[in-house]
Amino acid sequence: MEYVLALLPMLVKMAIVVGVLLLLPLPLTWMERKIAAHIQQRPGPMRVGWHGLLQPLADALKLLTKEDHIPAEADRRLFAMAPVVALVPPFLVFTAIPFGEPVQVFGTEVTLMLSDMNVGLLFILAVSGIGVFGTILAGWASNSKYAVLGSLRSIAQMISYEIPMGFSVIGVVMLANSMNLSRIVAAQEDLWNVVVQPVGFFVFFIAGLAEAQRIPFDLPEAEGDLGAGYHTEYSGIRFSLFMLAEYLVVVMLAALNVLLFFGGWQGSPFFLPDTVWFLLKIGFFVWVFMWFRFTFPRYRYDQLMAIGWKVLLPLSLLNILVSGILML
Amino acid sequence: MARTSVKKAGWIGRVFFLDLLAGLRLTLRYMFSKTVTHRYPDHEKWVPYERHRGHHFIKTNDEGDVNCVACELCSQICPCDCITVIPYENEKGDRRPKVFDINLARCLYCGLCEDACPADAIKLGQEYEVACDHRPKLVVHLEDLVAAPRKAEDGGQVRPARLEPGGKRRSVATAAAGAESHDWWRHIRKGK
Repeated sequence: MEYVLALLPMLVKMAIVVGVLLLLPLPLTWMERKIAAHIQQRPGPMRVGWHGLLQPLADALKLLTKEDHIPAEADRRLFAMAPVVALVPPFLVFTAIPFGEPVQVFGTEVTLMLSDMNVGLLFILAVSGIGVFGTILAGWASNSKYAVLGSLRSIAQMISYEIPMGFSVIGVVMLANSMNLSRIVAAQEDLWNVVVQPVGFFVFFIAGLAEAQRIPFDLPEAEGDLGAGYHTEYSGIRFSLFMLAEYLVVVMLAALNVLLFFGGWQGSPFFLPDTVWFLLKIGFFVWVFMWFRFTFPRYRYDQLMAIGWKVLLPLSLLNILVSGILML
Repeated sequence: MARTSVKKAGWIGRVFFLDLLAGLRLTLRYMFSKTVTHRYPDHEKWVPYERHRGHHFIKTNDEGDVNCVACELCSQICPCDCITVIPYENEKGDRRPKVFDINLARCLYCGLCEDACPADAIKLGQEYEVACDHRPKLVVHLEDLVAAPRKAEDGGQVRPARLEPGGKRRSVATAAAGAESHDWWRHIRKGK
């Protein structure tokens, strides 16, 4: 009984996080379609439910009832494994993301995160790097040239952008003297890091866009030249798992941007609870990602690599150097 | 058309991505501007201008008799030969059409019949929903032409409408004239 009581808050938190994450793509697809539509001066989905609010449900039903097709000569085991492998890292990352200060529930202190790690930031960077495996496996197992080329591109892209991304957060870690995300947020109580580390934020934001494979860096699934990239051969529920992973990565990057550079739950207007304020900030960043998506064209592949290695990497190193000198 | 305020700002502009920011500003403005879509057919319907050449109609006089004197000028001038008129003499001794058929599948809505008509009888009205699922239905007869909608005197507006799938010929019914309609063109050119 004692064990159960000790485990209960943890289980409840896990259930909430997993449930919310699984359902998150529904409002996000609706939001994405609405933003796309309004940027193009269309109303977007309007028929299913109020202002098309039930459209994602209809879409999900359609996806789930589609044929689950496995191409001939495909590596069936890897083909089935890849979507799951792609889905695990975004879920894992959310174990380390704090959603607010610890709160008092029935006299016990409950932290608003699944696991308070000392090296939360390192854990997140490491785990999100695993995401590339899903892409590689999907591309390789599909036995399709589009899929292989798409996954080759994404490997190159994700690996080259992970380096500037990792370097860009070092400035933040230096300021907070910790890799614990709660401490990083606490260190921004007076001044958000985006003011102190504008270059770090810039590099992190761009590298994040590339890491999430969003436009203007969505080369792995460039429709014009690669079909649908690494998930060309996927359909039905397996495809929806990739979609889910993609949206979760976007939310994760929005959350990281907020935590590292925009003060997490700090600076809430007096009437809003910290957590709601934090979620609003995340929503804002998700909106910015979508706004970018429907504004910019795609970069060419060599431009993508040039931006990663020739611009972002030197910038992030310079940022570390300058912040180090200033802190001395 | 979209205009942005980007000028060549040299390398400083490139460093601060002024061109990208201009693009973002433009899409942001669009995001919060009004949409241009007509929610046709079940919410709104575009009522065409008075000059619109749509489905034909035949005018009637005060006694309810058709104006047409069955002179067949319209069928003579018709470039695609889609009007069939067969005259007869009615009880008052007037020449009137016994048959007045227009094959809408052939008609190109040029309006020459309207110009040729000496009796101010045949006109092209506001109706444009003539699609149907059976080709013989496209041949419309005299009684259809008398009943067809006239020219839209207050046209050029988007009017509330509703879809009536069971309706006879026209399945989209517009609300009465004057009901909260809006001028679509002025509406979309607001930012100009």
